[in-house]
This record gives sequence, structure tokens and C-alpha cells, in this order.
Amino acid sequence: MDRRGALTMARNAREWAEPPKFPPTHYVDTRLYTDPTIFEEERAKIFDHTWIIACHESELPAAHDYRTFSHPGGKNLVLVRGEDGEVRVFYNICPHRGNVLVQEPAGNARVLTCIFHSWTFDCRGNCTGIARRKEGFQDRLQPRDVGLRAVRATIGYGGFVWVNLDDDAPSLPEFIGQALDVLEPHLREPLEVFHYQQVVVDTNFKLWHDTNSEFYHDYMHYFNRVTGMQQPGYFERRYVPYPNGHASVGSMQVQYDRYDGGAERRVGWPGLAPGGWLLVDVFPGMTFNLRTSVIRMDTVIPLAPNRVLIELRGLGLKRDTVEERAARVRDHNAIWGPFGRNLHEDLLGVRGQGKAMRDAGTGSRWVIHGREENSTIHDEVGMRHYYATWSRFMQRSPSDPFGDRS
Amino acid sequence: MSSSRTAITELVYRPLLALDERDFEGYLALCTDDFHYTVRAYSPEIRRDMVWMDLDRASIETLFRTLPRHNSDPAPLSRHATVYTVTLDEGRQEAAVVTALQVLRTELDGGQTALFGAGKIHDTVALSEGLPRLRARLIRLDTRRLGIGSHIPF
Repeated sequence: MDRRGALTMARNAREWAEPPKFPPTHYVDTRLYTDPTIFEEERAKIFDHTWIIACHESELPAAHDYRTFSHPGGKNLVLVRGEDGEVRVFYNICPHRGNVLVQEPAGNARVLTCIFHSWTFDCRGNCTGIARRKEGFQDRLQPRDVGLRAVRATIGYGGFVWVNLDDDAPSLPEFIGQALDVLEPHLREPLEVFHYQQVVVDTNFKLWHDTNSEFYHDYMHYFNRVTGMQQPGYFERRYVPYPNGHASVGSMQVQYDRYDGGAERRVGWPGLAPGGWLLVDVFPGMTFNLRTSVIRMDTVIPLAPNRVLIELRGLGLKRDTVEERAARVRDHNAIWGPFGRNLHEDLLGVRGQGKAMRDAGTGSRWVIHGREENSTIHDEVGMRHYYATWSRFMQRSPSDPFGDRS
Repeated sequence: MSSSRTAITELVYRPLLALDERDFEGYLALCTDDFHYTVRAYSPEIRRDMVWMDLDRASIETLFRTLPRHNSDPAPLSRHATVYTVTLDEGRQEAAVVTALQVLRTELDGGQTALFGAGKIHDTVALSEGLPRLRARLIRLDTRRLGIGSHIPF
């Protein structure tokens, strides 16, 4: 009842502050998305110790190719393919005066030369040249003293280059476990990146990953409603959680021709049924999205509690003919490019969340992850599973991260 | 081929004004039946030229028809252009036009305007049917961070 005695569901301040009537596993305190302390802890406790996708091997096809990467933990990295074909990763920092070694995002260089004082390094991280070393350093400094900082790197799961800043972290296969088994039959052929896009949006990185971890928001996508939600098999798609916070979503046959002007995606994908769609979310912020004819890879780089840089890649098969590649690009752009139907809508959604939660004073207190539908497509088990792993890394409760709301 | 440079230049601007006003029928009325629209950008990160839109007239008609069913950013875009060169091809009865483009986005709440994107427009203008008509528009973007993107092209 409101003050005039009329029935209302609107809540007063006390009611608004009450936690949802769910178990603590089924909602999240919004300070997870806004608090600077949590943000810095996430970089140190999660991103600095987990495997992160830096780029795809097709971005470094030849010997001496390099590619830079802004690691979500805050470090600048450079990836270099050696003459032996191996991709090695280093801090993109000259050990002399801290300048970045490589300025451009990608290129080819036989040696990495710091423009500041002309120190040079090879593709194995060895220092190969110190200008006027004898005159200035005499015998007090040798090249072996100033090699680059090497970072663990592994190529796998579709040719992506994974990096881990923690020399003692479990291996990539241990980290992934069986989470990507569902995609393995479809990742056996060499892939190639044809689309790369960065989006900076004022929202927390986890809110983007949340959007990739729940399909209930298909109500926002007209395209997905008519080609998916209204078609057979949609509500049978199941979430499967895996250790370390990963989760996969089962396939269905998407009816692309149900969208006005749409057509079946005939180019398809090796081993995938026509219209198939598989998705795997990898902790803490990567998503493999195989949608019939094209793979989209999302990786997040948190910039601030309420700001994230999302890297979006589109991939086809390296062996594509010109016509096949054009079809994949067309399919990609229809929903996922910067002018695509779905990407824009997803970004509208998380931008709105970022606006509502931009700091602790804006009033949003809780985010509900309470849907239970037998782990099928509108169940929010994917997010619940993610935050259970987040809690393990952070040693904080997602529903009460500062212990002041119990 | 009597079209003046003024008429050709106005044809470059008028589709931009039509999209600013979301006058999709007006936009299509300025285009030939074989109109083709493309947006491309070069990525230094992957060292490849990327196609971000590649639509024939039927596809762009579909895009305009389906837009009202989608959730789109309501903030208006304002397309600003300056025609640099007009090159006539008498034999083909066409003109090739190069135009600088800047797109501004204005927030609905408060009215702050910010640069959304920049690039160049490369138009092919058909001159054989009375009034000039747009046969092909290629937009080559310099800007690759396009905010949250847009359902309505440039």
C-alpha cells in the first residue's frame, strides 16, 4: 500500500535495500561492478594468474611478425614469431629506460629496436645490442643481464595464442579441462581472422561476459527471437558448467530464413550441422561463439571499474575460397559487425547497466541471477557458475563482497 | 551528359541528409536500381582490409524495413561532408566523387555532441537518366572504434 492506501509494488528505501529472496548464490552485489578495490584485486588475483587469449596465430603468419597486446592485468606485451615458427611473448618494455619496444600494433621486424637509445633484442628475448656499451657501462652490465621478460604462451583451441603472466599457474589444458571439447571437432582446421574491432564501453567487464553467459536476453534481439526463440530446439539448448568457471551452450538449428531478407547460411562449418550454433564462455572474460558459418571471439580488457575494452574477432577457415570468405564476412556483419543487428543491441544493454551502476551511489543494489530452468537456455546457471569461480579467486562473496550486508 | 557539378555535389549530400532524418524512402529514391553500398576499414592490428557492410539495393531496403523491429541507439547521427573532387567520365556517363566525411553523435540527454566516425566517401554517380543518381557508395572509414555501433549506416 502506498501513502494513500493504494496497492503498489513500488518499494520504499528500506525495502529496496533488502537482498533478493534467493540463496546468496543467486544474486550479486552491484559493488562487484563499481568498486575500485575489487577492480584492482581482480587484475591482480584473477587476470595475472589465468590464461588469456592475446591474439590468433593468423595475425603472426610469418617469421619475425609481431603483435602487441594490452594484457587485462595491465601489462603491455609483445608477441613475436621466431624463425623456428614458435610464438614467444615478452613484456613490451625496454629493460633500459622503460620505453615500449614496439610501437605499432603489428608488423615485421628482424630485431626489436627501442627507438629511445637503440638497444636491440631478438625474437627469443635476447639483448643483441647496447649502443656504446663498453664506453658507458664498461664491464658492469652485460647483454645477458638485460634480456626481455618472457611470458608463458601456448597456441591452442583453434590456433589462439594464450598467455599467462604467472610462471607457476597450471597449464592451459589443466585450466580449460573439458570445456572446449564440444568445439574441438570444429577447430581442427587452420583458422584465419578476417575481422578485428575494438569497442570501449562504460560498463564493467563482467557485465559483458554475463551477457555472453545468458540467453534470456534474446528478448532484446529481434533477430534471435524469430530465427531462434520461436523455432524448435531453442528451449532444449543446455548449459554445461565446467571447472574453473567455464560453461558451454548446446546447439540448435537456427532458422536464418525466418528473418526478413535472411537466408540459410549455406557455407556452413566443418562438422557442424546446418544452422548449428555452439558457444563456450571461458573464465574470466573470453567467449568462443561458433554461429553456423563464422566464429566470433570476444576478449575483455578491463580499463576501470566501469569501463571495458572489448576485442572482437571474426574468423573463417584459412582454406576459404574468395566466395566462401565473402559469405562468412556477410554472415558475420549481418548481426555482429559494427553495423550488425545483434552486437549493437548487446552493447546498448550493457551500456545501460553501466549507466545504472556507474558508482555505488546510483541506487542499483543487486543483480539477480535467479532463473532455474533445468540448465536450459534461459537458466542463469552460467552466471552463477562464473561467480562461484570468481569467489574462489577473490576470496569474497559475490552477494556480500565486503561482509557488510549479511 | 548535362549534369552540373552542383547537381552532382548535391547528390552526394542528399543521401546523408536523408539518413540524418531517417528518411529511408528518400534515400532510396536517390539511388539507381543497381545501387551498391559498402563500408570498409583497414585494420593495422590484423593487417587486413575489412568489409563492414556490403549491401545491394535489395539488402539495404531490407535493412531499412527491419530497423523499426530492433532496439537501436536513439541518439541522432549528423553526417558532415565536404566534396573534394568530381571526375567526369563522359564515355560511361558517370562521375567519380571523393568526399570527406565526419559523423557526429548527439546525446539525447543533455545534447552533448561527439565525433562518432571519420573517413572518406567514394561515390559512383550515374548521369545517364536525367537527374544524377547514386550507383555505388563506398565509405572507407578511418575510425574503427565506433562506440557501440549503429544500425543506421552512414
